[in-house]
Amino acid sequence: MVSSSLSSKRYTYIHESGSETRRGAIDIHHVIINRSRSTGYARLMGLAFFLVILGVSMYSFIEKDNPVRTLSWSCLLSGFFVVIQSRKLVKKESVIIMPTFGIQIETQYLSGKTVSRFIPIDKILKPMLVECVTPVTCYWSLSLFLRGEEQLTLVFKELRPSLKMLVPIWKALCTVISTDQSEIITEEKHVVSG
Amino acid sequence: MAEPKLRILMVSDFFFPNFGGVENHIYYLSQCLLNLGHKVVVMTHAYGNRTGVRYMTGGLKVYYVPWRPFTMQNTFPTVYGTLPIVRTILKRERITVVHGHQAFSTLCHEALMHARTMGYRVVFTDHSLYGFADVGSIHMNKVLQFTLADIDQAICVSHTSKENTVLRSGLAPGKVFMIPNAVDTAMFKPADVRPSSDDVITIVVISRLVYRKGADLLVEVIPEVCRLYPNVRFVVGGDGPKHVRLEEMREKHSLQDRVEMLGAVPHSRVRYVLVTGGIFLNSSLTEAFCIAILEAASCGLLTVSTRVGGVLPDDMVVLAEPDPDDMVRAIEKAISILPSINPEEMHNRMTKLYSWQDVAKRTEIVYDRALKCSNRSLLERLSRFLSCGAWAGKVFCMVMIIDYLLWRLLQLLQPDDDIEEAPEINFCN
Repeated sequence: MVSSSLSSKRYTYIHESGSETRRGAIDIHHVIINRSRSTGYARLMGLAFFLVILGVSMYSFIEKDNPVRTLSWSCLLSGFFVVIQSRKLVKKESVIIMPTFGIQIETQYLSGKTVSRFIPIDKILKPMLVECVTPVTCYWSLSLFLRGEEQLTLVFKELRPSLKMLVPIWKALCTVISTDQSEIITEEKHVVSG
Repeated sequence: MAEPKLRILMVSDFFFPNFGGVENHIYYLSQCLLNLGHKVVVMTHAYGNRTGVRYMTGGLKVYYVPWRPFTMQNTFPTVYGTLPIVRTILKRERITVVHGHQAFSTLCHEALMHARTMGYRVVFTDHSLYGFADVGSIHMNKVLQFTLADIDQAICVSHTSKENTVLRSGLAPGKVFMIPNAVDTAMFKPADVRPSSDDVITIVVISRLVYRKGADLLVEVIPEVCRLYPNVRFVVGGDGPKHVRLEEMREKHSLQDRVEMLGAVPHSRVRYVLVTGGIFLNSSLTEAFCIAILEAASCGLLTVSTRVGGVLPDDMVVLAEPDPDDMVRAIEKAISILPSINPEEMHNRMTKLYSWQDVAKRTEIVYDRALKCSNRSLLERLSRFLSCGAWAGKVFCMVMIIDYLLWRLLQLLQPDDDIEEAPEINFCN
């Protein structure tokens, strides 16, 4: 059941949740790239064309005597690069929150391949919204502080959704973590007093 | 929380964790501006592992941009490389005024150039004095001429510094404001127990032992004063290449028990060293603004100084020419008036005369004046650059045109609406 969705130029955010009354229902958050088929293929073609031109101009400097061979090599190389690039194109990234159990982070590529990672609930110390600064830009990312790991784990590894989309996911994660942590504290109190 | 009146971006290569006068200035000024209700963001380059966004006291947001420093804490100058990140920061923080610090900072010059291209109001503060004759200074002055040709307002920290900046850059003097530095009078307080003036008089010197700070003068002055006044002792704090000369002087005149050499003194210990003395001696040959004499006066010491920028009121300082005999005469005069000095009263006067709150209010006036400047079109701005020189003017125009075109290209690739604004985070005091 889709309970909310947000849309921007590049991404669409969809929130699916089970029935509101049932406690412990699974919460799923999707972030989908708004990639129309034409823009996707146009980008690939543009990249391929650019690489062909680059290859031809590079080889024409090195080997002036055999243009056919250089052209075929450059087409092969650029075709190779295009195939590599298309495998990296992401279609959708999802976060599946299973209260008291854990969360599953999934990345689905255009080629159909899905990469997922499950993180048990007691391994998560805190989810946080972090501003990442690179030499050319600055963007928000949602990260998890995990027990026993020095580096933060990114929830969305390839995509960069806006803060408006990240906030509801972060709030949902915080609710689940705090519920779990308060249950652990209550259990510990029982053990101590009992 | 009410909407901030102004949104200021401070840009410089020099900020904490690096320690120095410019860094202190930016930090204290930012804190006072935050107290006045403005929003301040600082942009600097990354220091080691410290990259990304950090928040300091009062909600001061600092962007440590991961550009590698290449010499003397300066970012590698790529001319156009910082355009994307500067544009992103200006848009996401909704900046209204960009304030660059220190002529020696490449990041400052680049950021000011990009900010002017994008139509923001720009203010520049120069903290140091520079020469005119050597190769490094000539190039630096040309870069400064380029940056200041198109600026809205400039600030210098003393009249000496204003003269120097105006001569180096050819900027109209009417555009330059003079706002002196201040001192943290809460940190520099006089000693609770005043040393008795009947017995030993202690003269304190704290400076880097280099030529520019007049270390050679000290070598002449100290033995003469020790000979004339048997009850005077010296405490010398600081380190540098001239340390050897001072040690030799001690040996030659057998002044080991009368001249104490402390070596490098960390800034947190400066006050402790200052309050052990009654007189502070500054022998700098040239200085844009000598904060050391303010710190000494705030601790209640009488100052003997050469005529450098940023001078105290007449009854708190004895001035001298940078000549050993004149300095000895000045020290004699200082010793004679020392009993009439009241450190507490001096400290209270300093609190009123030199406070960062006052500096912030005066800087606010400069920002308001900058905001009132009219928005110039690209052609008008290019005509200003042409007057910088026969060849240089044309080169500067080309640089600005390419910057403008790159900015438009960036706007096509990443429209302004795509840059998300950062939310305001309230820090409850």
